[in-house]
Amino acid sequence: MSLLTKDEYQAIAAGLDFPTMAYIDGRYRPATSGKTFSSINPATGKELAQVAACGAEDVDFAVTKAREAFEDGRWSRLHPSDRKDVLIRLCKLMTRNARELAVMESLDSGKTIYDCETVDVPETIHCIKWHAELIDKIYDQVSPASDDHIAMIVREPIGVVGLVLPWNFPLLMMAWKIAPALAAGCSVVLKPAEETSLTALRLAELAAEAGLPRGVLNVLPGGGVDVGEPIGRHMDIDMVSFTGSTVTGKRFLGYSGESNAKEIVLEMGGKNPAIVMDDAENLDRVAAHVVNGAFWNMGENCSASSRLIVHKDIKADLLERITHHAKQWNVGDPLDPEIRMGALVSKAHYKKVCGYLEQADKIIFGGKAENGFVKATVVEVAGNDVALAREEIFGPVLSVITVSSFDEAIRVANDTDYGLAASLFTANAKRAIRGARMLRAGTVTINSFGEGDITTPFGGYKQSGFGGRDNSIHAHDQYTQLKTIWIDLADDEDEAVD
Amino acid sequence: MTPIFKFDGIYTPVVTPFADDCSVRWDALEEVIDWLIAQGVHGLISGGSTGENFAQTVAERIEIAQFTVEKAKGRVPVVIGTGAMLTGDSIALARAARDMGADAILLASPPYSVPTDRENALNALAIDKAADLPIMLYNYPHRTGTMMGEEFLDRVGRSRNFCGIKESSGDINRVHLLARDYPHIQLGCGMDDQALEFFAWGAPFWVCGGSNFLPAEHVALYEACVIENDFVQGRRIMSALLPLMSVFEQGGKFIQTIKHGVTLNGIDCSVVRPPLKPLNKDDKRALEQVVRVLKETISDIRAEGTK
Repeated sequence: MSLLTKDEYQAIAAGLDFPTMAYIDGRYRPATSGKTFSSINPATGKELAQVAACGAEDVDFAVTKAREAFEDGRWSRLHPSDRKDVLIRLCKLMTRNARELAVMESLDSGKTIYDCETVDVPETIHCIKWHAELIDKIYDQVSPASDDHIAMIVREPIGVVGLVLPWNFPLLMMAWKIAPALAAGCSVVLKPAEETSLTALRLAELAAEAGLPRGVLNVLPGGGVDVGEPIGRHMDIDMVSFTGSTVTGKRFLGYSGESNAKEIVLEMGGKNPAIVMDDAENLDRVAAHVVNGAFWNMGENCSASSRLIVHKDIKADLLERITHHAKQWNVGDPLDPEIRMGALVSKAHYKKVCGYLEQADKIIFGGKAENGFVKATVVEVAGNDVALAREEIFGPVLSVITVSSFDEAIRVANDTDYGLAASLFTANAKRAIRGARMLRAGTVTINSFGEGDITTPFGGYKQSGFGGRDNSIHAHDQYTQLKTIWIDLADDEDEAVD
Repeated sequence: MTPIFKFDGIYTPVVTPFADDCSVRWDALEEVIDWLIAQGVHGLISGGSTGENFAQTVAERIEIAQFTVEKAKGRVPVVIGTGAMLTGDSIALARAARDMGADAILLASPPYSVPTDRENALNALAIDKAADLPIMLYNYPHRTGTMMGEEFLDRVGRSRNFCGIKESSGDINRVHLLARDYPHIQLGCGMDDQALEFFAWGAPFWVCGGSNFLPAEHVALYEACVIENDFVQGRRIMSALLPLMSVFEQGGKFIQTIKHGVTLNGIDCSVVRPPLKPLNKDDKRALEQVVRVLKETISDIRAEGTK
């Protein structure tokens, strides 16, 4: 899809009709309390819409409807090929409405229209399509056995799942979770982030249009305490998949323990290292990767490479090239397709990121922030112990740490509470493989920055999360449970005792 | 569910008194409005079909609505009917309702074109956008040719303004559907002979043409069922009202009957606009008889409660 002009995007934005109600049991409804909250365009500070502020009673109602749907099998027991057809139809409807979704996403989150059009929306569609295509190609197992029995190991949908989303990739994170959950046959109660609810609500409507039965996908906008916690504590939700901050993620473990011991899958924070060794080839390319890793999506990315661990011998050279590349990450109106960095998601988050900028002793590049926009910023830190090197900033701030050896680099890289992603730049194959094995992170990339793609699992070590993986065939596991079906085939005569 | 606007009680779709040349008799309209409010109805609807909207131009309808809002002086909520053949006309009426400070709009399906649920919902959302006021939907498939089906109701849910529905299909299954599956849309009786059933299912309001001349009797049923939750008394009152409903629905002369009822109360409303003609002598006599009996009966039933 070719990009439009800024004027054209603004015209589309002006004509958008925002969905603002909760989507429960196949229809839009206000919150039971009648309460709403203001959805703000972070790039302008203006209100986009008043969105239904759901609460515990809405969660309860949605779970009842989701359970009804699950138990009567309108989706959970549908033939896998039929589930596939519905999800493929959803992808077609999303493609038809891609532009509307992209503009809505940009307005709601501050993300650039460039990213929304070229990454978020197409990858969302691709993700749903991939899982849809997978549904009728996963086989169960039969155990090795004697003639006297047969044992089948089958996977069944886990039931009603609560999906709690972050605000940084509203559509894409929704797809990461609903695609395997729906493919598996689960019913979903989904809480989008309060900051970014609009596209999730629209997607629910499109799913209904595609033929997803009532009650199977419910979207409840609202706050963490009002919706997230009741989901975590609900006695009739079988599992929760959460993506967001480590602090909130840990709370879900508590809710689970205090309620029905529901399964919890957590994808949480990261403070991801990008190690550049003195033998790295083509520093210009390395710089491009590092900059992309640090500043893509305004650094609002849990797998952002926010720590540059660089060998002292190439540091000056690399920083010069990084500065050159970082200059190209211009900041401005997200609806301008020439802009690479839009607004941070909210005023509160902007303030938080600005707080970190104030802590920086030595700013190598950038450092400017105004009206919700923060420039790509590179700061030098004295070591790995300061807040800028340890805490997840979730903004366009790259902290540079200098090291003198490969072993030191790995040590510093692993010296973090997190373990989501890491990248290593070296031309030495032995070092590359050793490093990849030694780095304690869910995804390690060599000579590049990335998260893999839909075919590879995504998730973290340590406090970056556990319990399952998004993406790939493994994503299905968390929305299913194993069942053994043991069948005795023994002939009565063999069993007879003489 | 907490709706953005509560339609509680008896909403009267106000008749439009005409002079012999069919021009609006403003003094009589003012008299009707004042009398209805004094008699305790809970809201007024201007420009409904009982007000003969089908025989009025958009400009006239706006003028009558404006007059009604001004004369009501905020004493009771005023709902403005926007039902029209052309979407443009409905939008003009909706905008005017917003500008004149109306409390809500009444939104019907456009008659004759028989839109699909999807078309009808998009039409409704466009009208909603123009007014941005609370909306009482008006489902009257016998008049419009199209039912506000589940797809329609699901789609209009995009806007929280859709917070009430005057259900006039006569299909009791619709009452069950609306009460159970659409609790966020307040259910209102629009089918007079089913008022008791609506109240039993929790409907908080009743839009009744008959309240133009029998407001106290309609309020009595509402109070018995909704306020006092006394369905034994409610059934007796409803039973007394049913002969009136038969006169309304089976004679096929709904508006003329209502207008004659208003005339019986001393405000001359006998003129109707073409193509309708006034009631004949027999119909008038039948109505008078029914009204006399039901007034006495309901008055007696209510008096029991005060002993």
